[in-house]
Amino acid sequence: MRNFQASAVERRITIQGEFASHPMEAGWASEALFFLIVEELTDAAVLRAQVEISADGINWIPEGTAFEAIGRPGHYFVKVSHFGNWLRVKGVVERAGAAAKLSVHLHLKG
Amino acid sequence: MEHLVALDQGLSKYQPLKRILAYDDFDRGLCGWIDLHPNYVGRDFNTLRYSLVDKTQWGPIMLSSASFRLAGTHGSLDGTYSMKLSTRPVARPYTEAPAPGSLSHSIKRMTTHLPKGLRQFEMWYAYTPEQDRQGISEHAMRAFGFFFDVQDDDYRYFIGARYLNAVDGEMVRKWQIFKAKDVSDLEWAYGVENDWCKHGIDAMWYGRRYPDGSTDGFKWVDNGYQDLCYNESDDKINWGYARLLIDTQKREYVELQSGSTVFDLRGIAPTLTPPYARIKGLFNPSIWVENDSDRRVFFYVDSVVISAE
Repeated sequence: MRNFQASAVERRITIQGEFASHPMEAGWASEALFFLIVEELTDAAVLRAQVEISADGINWIPEGTAFEAIGRPGHYFVKVSHFGNWLRVKGVVERAGAAAKLSVHLHLKG
Repeated sequence: MEHLVALDQGLSKYQPLKRILAYDDFDRGLCGWIDLHPNYVGRDFNTLRYSLVDKTQWGPIMLSSASFRLAGTHGSLDGTYSMKLSTRPVARPYTEAPAPGSLSHSIKRMTTHLPKGLRQFEMWYAYTPEQDRQGISEHAMRAFGFFFDVQDDDYRYFIGARYLNAVDGEMVRKWQIFKAKDVSDLEWAYGVENDWCKHGIDAMWYGRRYPDGSTDGFKWVDNGYQDLCYNESDDKINWGYARLLIDTQKREYVELQSGSTVFDLRGIAPTLTPPYARIKGLFNPSIWVENDSDRRVFFYVDSVVISAE
Protein backbone atom coordinates (compact mmCIF):
# COMPACT_ATOMS: atom_id res chain seq x y z
CA MET A 1 0.00 0.00 0.00
CA ARG A 2 1.36 3.41 -0.86
CA ASN A 3 2.14 6.10 1.67
CA PHE A 4 0.19 9.33 1.88
CA GLN A 5 0.33 12.58 3.82
CA ALA A 6 -2.00 15.56 3.72
CA SER A 7 -0.20 18.48 5.32
CA ALA A 8 -1.68 21.85 6.20
CA VAL A 9 1.63 23.54 5.43
CA GLU A 10 0.26 27.05 5.94
CA ARG A 11 -2.90 27.48 7.95
CA ARG A 12 -5.06 30.56 7.44
CA ILE A 13 -2.26 33.07 7.03
CA THR A 14 -2.92 36.64 5.95
CA ILE A 15 -0.47 37.89 3.38
CA GLN A 16 0.33 41.10 1.56
CA GLY A 17 2.77 41.25 -1.32
CA GLU A 18 5.01 38.20 -1.73
CA PHE A 19 4.86 34.99 0.27
CA ALA A 20 6.47 31.54 0.20
CA SER A 21 5.17 28.43 1.93
CA HIS A 22 7.20 26.42 4.45
CA PRO A 23 9.84 24.16 2.83
CA MET A 24 8.52 20.61 2.75
CA GLU A 25 10.57 17.47 2.19
CA ALA A 26 8.82 15.18 -0.25
CA GLY A 27 11.55 12.86 -1.51
CA TRP A 28 9.56 9.76 -0.57
CA ALA A 29 6.59 10.77 -2.74
CA SER A 30 6.15 10.34 -6.47
CA GLU A 31 3.28 12.74 -6.88
CA ALA A 32 2.12 15.92 -5.22
CA LEU A 33 -0.89 18.20 -5.24
CA PHE A 34 -0.63 21.73 -3.90
CA PHE A 35 -3.94 23.27 -2.85
CA LEU A 36 -4.45 26.97 -2.33
CA ILE A 37 -7.53 27.58 -0.20
CA VAL A 38 -8.30 31.27 -0.48
CA GLU A 39 -10.82 32.47 2.12
CA GLU A 40 -10.52 36.21 1.55
CA LEU A 41 -9.07 38.42 -1.15
CA THR A 42 -9.49 42.16 -0.66
CA ASP A 43 -9.62 45.12 -3.05
CA ALA A 44 -10.27 43.03 -6.18
CA ALA A 45 -6.67 41.88 -5.98
CA VAL A 46 -5.17 39.09 -8.07
CA LEU A 47 -3.12 36.31 -6.48
CA ARG A 48 -0.44 34.64 -8.59
CA ALA A 49 1.41 31.55 -7.34
CA GLN A 50 3.73 28.89 -8.66
CA VAL A 51 5.51 25.76 -7.47
CA GLU A 52 9.20 25.95 -6.64
CA ILE A 53 11.80 23.22 -6.15
CA SER A 54 15.20 23.33 -4.48
CA ALA A 55 18.48 21.47 -4.32
CA ASP A 56 18.88 22.22 -0.61
CA GLY A 57 15.64 23.54 0.86
CA ILE A 58 17.15 27.02 1.05
CA ASN A 59 17.70 28.26 -2.51
CA TRP A 60 14.63 27.98 -4.73
CA ILE A 61 13.88 27.91 -8.47
CA PRO A 62 10.57 27.72 -10.39
CA GLU A 63 9.46 24.18 -11.20
CA GLY A 64 7.36 25.42 -14.12
CA THR A 65 3.91 24.66 -12.74
CA ALA A 66 1.79 27.70 -11.92
CA PHE A 67 -1.72 28.38 -10.65
CA GLU A 68 -3.94 30.35 -12.99
CA ALA A 69 -4.43 33.90 -11.77
CA ILE A 70 -6.74 33.79 -8.74
CA GLY A 71 -9.24 36.64 -8.46
CA ARG A 72 -11.71 35.38 -5.87
CA PRO A 73 -11.94 33.06 -2.84
CA GLY A 74 -12.08 29.34 -3.54
CA HIS A 75 -10.14 26.08 -3.67
CA TYR A 76 -7.42 25.79 -6.31
CA PHE A 77 -4.83 23.11 -7.08
CA VAL A 78 -1.88 22.18 -9.26
CA LYS A 79 -0.18 18.82 -9.83
CA VAL A 80 3.57 18.16 -9.71
CA SER A 81 5.91 15.20 -10.11
CA HIS A 82 9.68 14.77 -10.57
CA PHE A 83 10.49 17.27 -7.85
CA GLY A 84 13.43 15.76 -5.96
CA ASN A 85 13.25 16.38 -2.23
CA TRP A 86 11.96 19.91 -1.68
CA LEU A 87 8.68 21.64 -2.54
CA ARG A 88 7.07 24.96 -1.80
CA VAL A 89 4.66 27.48 -3.33
CA LYS A 90 5.71 31.04 -3.95
CA GLY A 91 3.16 33.72 -4.69
CA VAL A 92 2.26 37.37 -4.69
CA VAL A 93 -0.84 39.44 -4.07
CA GLU A 94 -0.66 41.87 -6.94
CA ARG A 95 -2.09 45.10 -5.58
CA ALA A 96 -0.46 47.38 -3.07
CA GLY A 97 -2.28 47.25 0.24
CA ALA A 98 -4.45 44.28 -0.73
CA ALA A 99 -4.44 41.12 1.39
CA ALA A 100 -5.28 37.48 1.03
CA LYS A 101 -6.25 35.05 3.77
CA LEU A 102 -5.28 31.60 2.61
CA SER A 103 -4.07 28.12 3.44
CA VAL A 104 -1.56 26.00 1.54
CA HIS A 105 -2.12 22.27 1.69
CA LEU A 106 0.24 19.67 0.25
CA HIS A 107 -0.91 16.16 -0.59
CA LEU A 108 1.92 13.68 -1.11
CA LYS A 109 1.61 10.10 -2.32
CA GLY A 110 4.19 7.47 -3.11
CA MET B 1 -1.48 -19.68 25.41
CA GLU B 2 2.27 -19.42 24.97
CA HIS B 3 3.55 -17.06 22.31
CA LEU B 4 6.93 -17.07 20.65
CA VAL B 5 7.61 -13.64 19.20
CA ALA B 6 10.55 -12.76 16.98
CA LEU B 7 11.28 -9.08 17.46
CA ASP B 8 12.27 -6.74 14.66
CA GLN B 9 16.04 -6.25 14.80
CA GLY B 10 15.43 -2.49 14.89
CA LEU B 11 14.19 -3.01 18.45
CA SER B 12 17.58 -4.24 19.64
CA LYS B 13 18.67 -0.66 20.30
CA TYR B 14 15.68 -0.21 22.62
CA GLN B 15 14.86 -1.45 26.12
CA PRO B 16 11.09 -1.91 25.92
CA LEU B 17 8.91 -3.09 28.76
CA LYS B 18 7.02 -6.36 28.32
CA ARG B 19 4.19 -5.04 26.14
CA ILE B 20 5.11 -2.92 23.14
CA LEU B 21 2.20 -0.59 22.46
CA ALA B 22 3.83 1.13 19.48
CA TYR B 23 7.03 0.64 17.51
CA ASP B 24 7.02 3.52 15.04
CA ASP B 25 9.85 3.37 12.53
CA PHE B 26 9.28 6.34 10.25
CA ASP B 27 10.59 4.46 7.25
CA ARG B 28 7.07 3.04 7.26
CA GLY B 29 5.29 6.40 7.21
CA LEU B 30 4.16 8.79 9.92
CA CYS B 31 2.60 5.94 11.98
CA GLY B 32 -0.21 8.09 13.33
CA TRP B 33 1.86 11.08 14.39
CA ILE B 34 0.31 14.41 13.40
CA ASP B 35 0.80 18.15 13.83
CA LEU B 36 -0.73 19.51 17.01
CA HIS B 37 -3.36 22.15 16.37
CA PRO B 38 -6.14 23.72 18.46
CA ASN B 39 -9.83 22.84 18.53
CA TYR B 40 -11.57 24.15 15.41
CA VAL B 41 -15.02 24.09 16.96
CA GLY B 42 -16.06 27.72 16.64
CA ARG B 43 -17.94 29.56 13.91
CA ASP B 44 -16.46 28.79 10.47
CA PHE B 45 -14.11 26.33 12.19
CA ASN B 46 -12.32 29.12 14.02
CA THR B 47 -11.19 28.69 17.59
CA LEU B 48 -13.51 29.49 20.44
CA ARG B 49 -11.29 31.25 22.90
CA TYR B 50 -8.57 33.85 22.77
CA SER B 51 -5.13 32.84 23.99
CA LEU B 52 -1.81 34.62 24.03
CA VAL B 53 -0.33 31.49 22.48
CA ASP B 54 -1.42 31.04 18.85
CA LYS B 55 -1.35 27.28 18.40
CA THR B 56 -2.55 27.35 14.78
CA GLN B 57 0.88 28.17 13.38
CA TRP B 58 3.22 25.53 14.81
CA GLY B 59 5.58 24.32 12.07
CA PRO B 60 4.58 21.20 10.14
CA ILE B 61 5.92 17.69 10.63
CA MET B 62 7.05 15.69 7.61
CA LEU B 63 8.84 12.55 6.49
CA SER B 64 12.44 13.64 6.05
CA SER B 65 15.48 12.14 4.38
CA ALA B 66 17.63 14.58 6.41
CA SER B 67 19.17 16.07 3.27
CA PHE B 68 21.61 18.98 3.44
CA ARG B 69 23.03 21.51 0.99
CA LEU B 70 26.60 20.23 0.81
CA ALA B 71 26.47 16.85 2.51
CA GLY B 72 23.53 15.34 0.63
CA THR B 73 21.24 12.80 2.26
CA HIS B 74 21.95 11.76 5.83
CA GLY B 75 19.05 9.33 5.95
CA SER B 76 17.87 7.88 9.23
CA LEU B 77 19.30 5.39 11.70
CA ASP B 78 17.50 2.39 10.22
CA GLY B 79 16.94 3.52 6.64
CA THR B 80 16.16 6.71 4.78
CA TYR B 81 13.28 8.44 6.56
CA SER B 82 12.67 10.04 9.90
CA MET B 83 9.84 12.15 11.24
CA LYS B 84 10.98 15.79 11.14
CA LEU B 85 9.48 18.50 13.32
CA SER B 86 10.23 21.92 11.82
CA THR B 87 9.67 25.34 13.31
CA ARG B 88 9.04 28.48 11.31
CA PRO B 89 11.73 31.20 11.24
CA VAL B 90 10.17 33.33 13.98
CA ALA B 91 10.97 33.63 17.67
CA ARG B 92 10.54 35.90 20.66
CA PRO B 93 12.83 36.50 23.62
CA TYR B 94 12.76 33.59 26.08
CA THR B 95 10.72 35.33 28.77
CA GLU B 96 7.81 36.07 26.42
CA ALA B 97 5.07 33.70 25.31
CA PRO B 98 6.36 31.67 22.35
CA ALA B 99 5.79 33.29 18.94
CA PRO B 100 3.34 31.68 16.51
CA GLY B 101 5.37 29.08 14.61
CA SER B 102 8.36 29.09 16.95
CA LEU B 103 7.58 25.51 17.95
CA SER B 104 6.77 22.34 16.10
CA HIS B 105 4.83 19.66 17.95
CA SER B 106 3.93 16.11 17.00
CA ILE B 107 1.41 13.92 18.77
CA LYS B 108 0.13 10.35 18.57
CA ARG B 109 -3.35 9.93 19.99
CA MET B 110 -3.95 6.75 21.96
CA THR B 111 -6.03 5.57 24.89
CA THR B 112 -4.96 3.15 27.57
CA HIS B 113 -6.18 -0.45 27.69
CA LEU B 114 -4.01 -1.95 30.42
CA PRO B 115 -4.08 -1.81 34.22
CA LYS B 116 -2.14 1.16 35.58
CA GLY B 117 1.58 0.67 36.02
CA LEU B 118 4.87 1.34 34.31
CA ARG B 119 4.87 3.06 30.92
CA GLN B 120 7.90 3.94 28.83
CA PHE B 121 8.68 6.32 25.98
CA GLU B 122 11.89 5.71 24.02
CA MET B 123 13.20 7.37 20.88
CA TRP B 124 16.28 7.78 18.75
CA TYR B 125 16.53 11.38 17.55
CA ALA B 126 18.79 14.10 16.16
CA TYR B 127 18.48 17.87 15.74
CA THR B 128 19.95 20.81 13.88
CA PRO B 129 18.97 24.32 12.85
CA GLU B 130 18.40 25.01 9.16
CA GLN B 131 21.81 25.37 7.53
CA ASP B 132 20.94 28.70 5.95
CA ARG B 133 24.18 30.45 6.99
CA GLN B 134 27.74 29.57 7.76
CA GLY B 135 28.98 28.70 11.20
CA ILE B 136 27.79 26.39 13.95
CA SER B 137 24.25 27.19 15.02
CA GLU B 138 23.67 24.96 18.04
CA HIS B 139 22.52 27.99 20.04
CA ALA B 140 19.54 28.47 17.70
CA MET B 141 17.91 25.41 19.31
CA ARG B 142 16.11 26.53 22.44
CA ALA B 143 14.62 23.26 23.63
CA PHE B 144 13.09 19.94 22.77
CA GLY B 145 11.07 17.54 24.83
CA PHE B 146 8.95 14.42 24.98
CA PHE B 147 6.14 13.41 27.28
CA PHE B 148 2.87 11.60 27.87
CA ASP B 149 -0.41 13.49 28.15
CA VAL B 150 -2.45 11.23 30.44
CA GLN B 151 -6.00 11.36 31.74
CA ASP B 152 -7.17 8.69 34.17
CA ASP B 153 -10.40 8.54 36.18
CA ASP B 154 -9.42 11.39 38.47
CA TYR B 155 -6.79 13.60 36.87
CA ARG B 156 -5.16 14.83 33.72
CA TYR B 157 -1.41 15.24 33.85
CA PHE B 158 1.57 15.96 31.61
CA ILE B 159 4.59 13.86 32.50
CA GLY B 160 7.85 14.14 30.59
CA ALA B 161 11.11 15.94 30.06
CA ARG B 162 12.54 18.97 28.29
CA TYR B 163 16.15 19.55 27.34
CA LEU B 164 16.77 23.27 27.63
CA ASN B 165 19.58 23.81 25.18
CA ALA B 166 19.87 27.60 24.96
CA VAL B 167 18.24 30.74 26.31
CA ASP B 168 18.51 33.91 24.23
CA GLY B 169 21.69 32.67 22.58
CA GLU B 170 23.41 31.40 25.72
CA MET B 171 23.93 27.66 26.07
CA VAL B 172 22.20 26.04 29.07
CA ARG B 173 22.20 22.27 28.30
CA LYS B 174 20.09 21.14 31.24
CA TRP B 175 17.20 18.72 31.63
CA GLN B 176 13.89 19.72 33.18
CA ILE B 177 10.71 17.74 33.90
CA PHE B 178 7.05 18.76 33.79
CA LYS B 179 6.07 19.96 37.25
CA ALA B 180 4.23 23.22 37.65
CA LYS B 181 4.76 25.80 40.33
CA ASP B 182 1.75 26.74 42.44
CA VAL B 183 0.30 29.48 40.25
CA SER B 184 -3.27 30.29 39.22
CA ASP B 185 -4.86 29.35 35.89
CA LEU B 186 -4.72 33.07 35.04
CA GLU B 187 -0.98 33.31 35.69
CA TRP B 188 -0.45 30.04 33.82
CA ALA B 189 -2.07 31.55 30.70
CA TYR B 190 0.02 34.76 30.78
CA GLY B 191 -2.84 36.70 32.37
CA VAL B 192 -5.45 35.89 29.71
CA GLU B 193 -8.90 35.42 31.24
CA ASN B 194 -10.86 32.27 30.34
CA ASP B 195 -8.06 30.65 28.37
CA TRP B 196 -8.88 27.04 27.49
CA CYS B 197 -5.75 25.85 29.23
CA LYS B 198 -5.57 24.98 32.92
CA HIS B 199 -2.68 25.02 35.37
CA GLY B 200 -0.24 22.20 34.61
CA ILE B 201 -1.47 21.54 31.06
CA ASP B 202 0.61 22.39 27.97
CA ALA B 203 3.73 23.54 29.82
CA MET B 204 5.48 23.45 26.45
CA TRP B 205 4.18 26.98 25.96
CA TYR B 206 2.22 27.99 29.07
CA GLY B 207 3.65 29.05 32.41
CA ARG B 208 5.73 32.16 32.89
CA ARG B 209 9.37 31.92 31.84
CA TYR B 210 12.34 33.45 33.65
CA PRO B 211 15.73 34.66 32.38
CA ASP B 212 17.67 31.77 33.96
CA GLY B 213 15.68 29.27 31.91
CA SER B 214 13.30 28.21 34.66
CA THR B 215 9.55 28.38 34.05
CA ASP B 216 6.37 27.99 36.08
CA GLY B 217 5.83 24.69 34.24
CA PHE B 218 9.08 22.82 34.75
CA LYS B 219 11.36 21.63 37.54
CA TRP B 220 15.10 21.32 37.04
CA VAL B 221 16.41 17.75 37.13
CA ASP B 222 19.00 17.29 39.88
CA ASN B 223 22.49 17.26 38.35
CA GLY B 224 20.68 17.66 35.04
CA TYR B 225 23.48 19.30 33.08
CA GLN B 226 24.42 17.19 30.05
CA ASP B 227 26.51 17.86 26.95
CA LEU B 228 24.67 16.24 24.09
CA CYS B 229 26.54 15.36 20.93
CA TYR B 230 26.31 18.27 18.51
CA ASN B 231 28.76 17.75 15.68
CA GLU B 232 31.19 20.23 14.07
CA SER B 233 28.81 21.40 11.37
CA ASP B 234 25.03 21.93 11.17
CA ASP B 235 24.74 19.26 8.46
CA LYS B 236 26.26 16.51 10.61
CA ILE B 237 23.59 14.92 12.75
CA ASN B 238 24.27 12.22 15.30
CA TRP B 239 21.42 9.99 16.47
CA GLY B 240 20.87 10.00 20.22
CA TYR B 241 18.80 7.91 22.60
CA ALA B 242 16.22 9.12 25.12
CA ARG B 243 14.00 7.16 27.48
CA LEU B 244 11.34 8.19 29.96
CA LEU B 245 9.91 5.69 32.46
CA ILE B 246 6.79 6.61 34.45
CA ASP B 247 4.37 4.89 36.81
CA THR B 248 0.70 5.62 36.10
CA GLN B 249 -0.38 3.71 39.23
CA LYS B 250 1.62 5.98 41.55
CA ARG B 251 1.32 8.94 39.13
CA GLU B 252 5.07 9.46 39.45
CA TYR B 253 8.21 9.72 37.44
CA VAL B 254 10.65 6.80 37.62
CA GLU B 255 13.64 7.47 35.35
CA LEU B 256 14.88 9.66 32.54
CA GLN B 257 17.69 8.29 30.41
CA SER B 258 19.62 10.38 27.87
CA GLY B 259 22.44 8.61 26.10
CA SER B 260 24.09 6.49 28.76
CA THR B 261 23.12 8.82 31.63
CA VAL B 262 20.19 7.78 33.82
CA PHE B 263 18.49 10.36 36.04
CA ASP B 264 16.60 8.89 39.01
CA LEU B 265 13.25 10.66 39.28
CA ARG B 266 11.51 8.32 41.72
CA GLY B 267 9.11 9.94 44.11
CA ILE B 268 8.51 13.02 41.98
CA ALA B 269 4.88 13.57 41.00
CA PRO B 270 3.71 15.56 38.00
CA THR B 271 1.10 18.30 38.42
CA LEU B 272 -2.38 16.83 38.69
CA THR B 273 -5.19 18.77 37.02
CA PRO B 274 -8.95 18.07 37.23
CA PRO B 275 -10.01 15.94 34.24
CA TYR B 276 -11.07 17.55 30.98
CA ALA B 277 -14.38 16.54 29.40
CA ARG B 278 -14.58 13.54 27.03
CA ILE B 279 -10.93 12.41 27.17
CA LYS B 280 -11.02 9.67 29.81
CA GLY B 281 -8.27 7.15 29.19
CA LEU B 282 -6.23 9.58 27.08
CA PHE B 283 -2.65 8.42 26.60
CA ASN B 284 -0.85 10.63 24.09
CA PRO B 285 2.89 10.42 23.51
CA SER B 286 4.14 13.76 22.19
CA ILE B 287 7.35 15.42 21.04
CA TRP B 288 8.15 19.07 20.45
CA VAL B 289 10.98 21.41 19.52
CA GLU B 290 11.36 25.17 20.01
CA ASN B 291 13.76 27.62 18.36
CA ASP B 292 15.70 30.34 20.18
CA SER B 293 16.06 32.82 17.32
CA ASP B 294 14.29 33.66 14.09
CA ARG B 295 15.39 30.56 12.21
CA ARG B 296 13.95 27.19 11.45
CA VAL B 297 15.13 24.37 13.69
CA PHE B 298 14.61 20.72 12.89
CA PHE B 299 14.13 17.73 15.18
CA TYR B 300 14.42 14.32 13.52
CA VAL B 301 12.98 11.15 15.06
CA ASP B 302 14.24 7.89 13.58
CA SER B 303 11.83 5.77 15.59
CA VAL B 304 9.77 5.64 18.77
CA VAL B 305 8.86 2.78 21.08
CA ILE B 306 6.02 3.07 23.58
CA SER B 307 5.78 0.16 26.00
CA ALA B 308 4.07 -0.99 29.18
CA GLU B 309 4.71 -3.56 31.89
